[in-house]
Amino acid sequence: MSRALALLAAALPALAAAGVRPAWGGTLRIGLSGPARAAGEGADPADLLVMRATSAPLLELDARGRLVPGALAEVPAAEADGRVFRLRLRPGLVDAAGRRLGAADLAVRLTSLLSRSPPSPHAFVALPIAGADAVLDGRTHTLSGVQILSATELVITLAFPLPQFPLLLATAPAGLPGAGPFVLAGPALAGAPLRLVRNERHHEGRPFADALELHARDARVAARLLEKGELDLVLRPEALGSRVTALPALTATVAALNPDRLGAGTEPLRRALAAIDRAELALRFVRGPAEPLAAIAPSALGAGAPPPAGPGGTAGAPPPQIVLLADAGAADQRALAERIQVKLFDRGVRVSLDLVDGATGLRGRLAAGDFDVALVPVTVLAPDGALTAGQIAWATRGAAAARRVMTELAAPLEPGAAQAAADRLARELALVPLVASGLRASAGPALEGLVARPDGAIDGGRLWRLGGTAP
Amino acid sequence: MRLALVALAALAAGPARAAPPPAVVTAAVALAAEVGPPPEGRRALLLAVEARAPALALTLETALDAALAARGYAVTPRRGTTEPEGAARAAGQDWLLRVRAGLVPGAGELALVGELIPAWPSFFLQRRPGARAIPPRVVQARAPADPGTLLLGREERPPGAPFAAIRALGRLPGRVLALAIGDPSGGRRPALVAVTPGLVAVLSPDAAPIAVRHAAGQLSPVRDPAAALAIGEFGGGRVALQRAGAPRGEVLALRGDALEPAGTLEAAPLCAGGAGPLFGAFAPGTGVFLDVLTRLVDPAARPRSPRTLYGASAAPRGGPIAFAALGTDLVLALLGPDLAPVEAAAPAAALATGSGFALADLDGDGTAELVASSPTPGAPDRIRILAPLAKAPLLLESPPIEGVILAGAGGDLTGDGLDDAVLAALVTGEDGAPASTLLLVTADPRESP
Repeated sequence: MSRALALLAAALPALAAAGVRPAWGGTLRIGLSGPARAAGEGADPADLLVMRATSAPLLELDARGRLVPGALAEVPAAEADGRVFRLRLRPGLVDAAGRRLGAADLAVRLTSLLSRSPPSPHAFVALPIAGADAVLDGRTHTLSGVQILSATELVITLAFPLPQFPLLLATAPAGLPGAGPFVLAGPALAGAPLRLVRNERHHEGRPFADALELHARDARVAARLLEKGELDLVLRPEALGSRVTALPALTATVAALNPDRLGAGTEPLRRALAAIDRAELALRFVRGPAEPLAAIAPSALGAGAPPPAGPGGTAGAPPPQIVLLADAGAADQRALAERIQVKLFDRGVRVSLDLVDGATGLRGRLAAGDFDVALVPVTVLAPDGALTAGQIAWATRGAAAARRVMTELAAPLEPGAAQAAADRLARELALVPLVASGLRASAGPALEGLVARPDGAIDGGRLWRLGGTAP
Repeated sequence: MRLALVALAALAAGPARAAPPPAVVTAAVALAAEVGPPPEGRRALLLAVEARAPALALTLETALDAALAARGYAVTPRRGTTEPEGAARAAGQDWLLRVRAGLVPGAGELALVGELIPAWPSFFLQRRPGARAIPPRVVQARAPADPGTLLLGREERPPGAPFAAIRALGRLPGRVLALAIGDPSGGRRPALVAVTPGLVAVLSPDAAPIAVRHAAGQLSPVRDPAAALAIGEFGGGRVALQRAGAPRGEVLALRGDALEPAGTLEAAPLCAGGAGPLFGAFAPGTGVFLDVLTRLVDPAARPRSPRTLYGASAAPRGGPIAFAALGTDLVLALLGPDLAPVEAAAPAAALATGSGFALADLDGDGTAELVASSPTPGAPDRIRILAPLAKAPLLLESPPIEGVILAGAGGDLTGDGLDDAVLAALVTGEDGAPASTLLLVTADPRESP
């Protein structure tokens, strides 16, 4: 994953325009693996694309991975050893309807990430803020760590030092809804593309395209439509056409074990899972760009192969029979589960697959502890080791585990020490990192402005069509 | 009185005689004045004129002959290739006046530099035959070049030389959004004006800053910055511009080394050339223009079509192709002085151009060439020179150019009387920030590699 980030800046400018300035106008049609949802609470790449198109991120990441102002007027500096951040919104910020947006709206947004039931996968973004637990538990509707100073200024106090917190402010869920380059044209209808129309009031200016249409298309249909010019961009694992760019492999698939059910068999089973050839999984069972995931904190990784299963735990045999829970609706999860089924059989573990269809079902089963082992895909929001590990811990083990992981990994550590800490945390949380996968951006001949950020985000407001508009 | 009238009538009835190129005559008379009258009756003068343009040398020789004769010299033009001082001594001349002439690059001036060398034998230096009787003198004269003199001073392109030369002129910080070449001061001194997101700069022909004005005022946000720029007569000033996102255009006046506000414009000044200025309008919220092209400021003008335009360029000296407008559909429209379409002989694909382009009559044939960036996205860019009315329009295609060419302008920067073009290539500066390399495209033989 870290290698993918490093390569990204060099690879993507090839799709940027040269010799021709951008043109405004027209509708750009984007093909996706599944239907895009308007609700904005999904966590797969299509959902994040919609969220980023319709909200204004507080901060942005430039091509080199540096934070730059977005809806905030400046990148906040850490105070009090990384526990306090003073946020100042860009003056004159309005949403698509022209309503002025201020510090109160930002406070509401951060609180709303925590106040959903069941909890939103994006709650992780606000989890470090003091008072997050009280909101998560429904005891209050205000975050004690958010103090509004003025119409455009607020102070955020964290529950623990986290100098990387501004990276969370650059994620799509932290953005201000309704202030992105596009707005929803109307409710999503079954079978119809999701249509987003331009927001003339976006703080960066009118987006180049008048509208984006997001279509769910399988690979064969998408390839044909791309060739005919009826799609301008396809975001799918497969490479379609000749203008293909691999996006960063930012979806981490981890195996979460349930010690409550597995008991003493947990550690032997964890070791058996960790012994699976993850490079083979990445190479043969993931359709998109992928690489083996050797740790839950990717920035702590070296460039080498995954570490050995490592010491720890009591020696013993894994349980003879388990149920492997996986989301069949998420990319590659069924293939990975079936391969793990075969590999564990070789080690004397009979695995039956329990496939659910959709992330919501998977999250419900995880929250209820209704699984032996679960494959959990987590689309990483912030390109940072501590935050990635924290997000994986949030998705699999909940708030307390996420806070603990971030607290332990946020402090500067030597690379060796960071990796050892990440490995230890993975063992203690009974997690086995498996593969990191991503999508490919297959562009039509006329699409320009496709620049993915190091966090994998694509700014739909910067996409345009060479040669002008199309009907 | 009657005699005078008769003489006047005879002059009027006779064949019309064109005035000689005034710069040649003016410079010759000025140089003769520098030489002064012949001292001590030493009137015999051998005149040797050298210039890289043979036509200029011959005409100047005639003008100097006349000017020196008027001062009392008996002038003998030098012929042959013998060493001139030896030839003057051998011929018994009193003086050798050796003159070198040329056009000052960028200044539009004819410059003469001469050496007045005594050639008579000195009684006191008989044992040293080569010694000069008195010390020689250097004399010089200059005159603003008129079109006729520029024509005479034009050098032939060396055999085998490409149609035009391309070289870097300088570098500006930031991305150049618009360029114009012209006379921003009204003092007949050509200059280059560049607009970047942060400033407006007036640059000398060698890209040295003359005046810089930093951008001020609040603009509506536009995702890709853009500007319209023209040099011409715009009321109180000669530089007109409008930035995308600005409510109106502004007129600036160059006063000394300062660019000062001189008025506002209710239209975007797209370009100005021999056929006059051309105005347009930004499409709201964008850095491209509506399909509005007017010869006068007309805020009420309606778009001719739903198309949008990257911009327009004017031929600096007019001609059958007075303007060119490039649509965001990458279709280039060639327009006459009355904005009527001009039919190109070549297919549209052959005239495809990127958004950095300029009209410039590089070869002086009266019809502007199109100097264009690559129409195909993807670095590296290339500069192409196209003759739009030719069936095979490609005159030159450059090797790959570093950066992305997004702006251009035409006008005479080298001072040879013919148009040049300057294109701005967006590059990454040494500090990692955007910068623009200014590239001179010229058919001036003095710039030939």
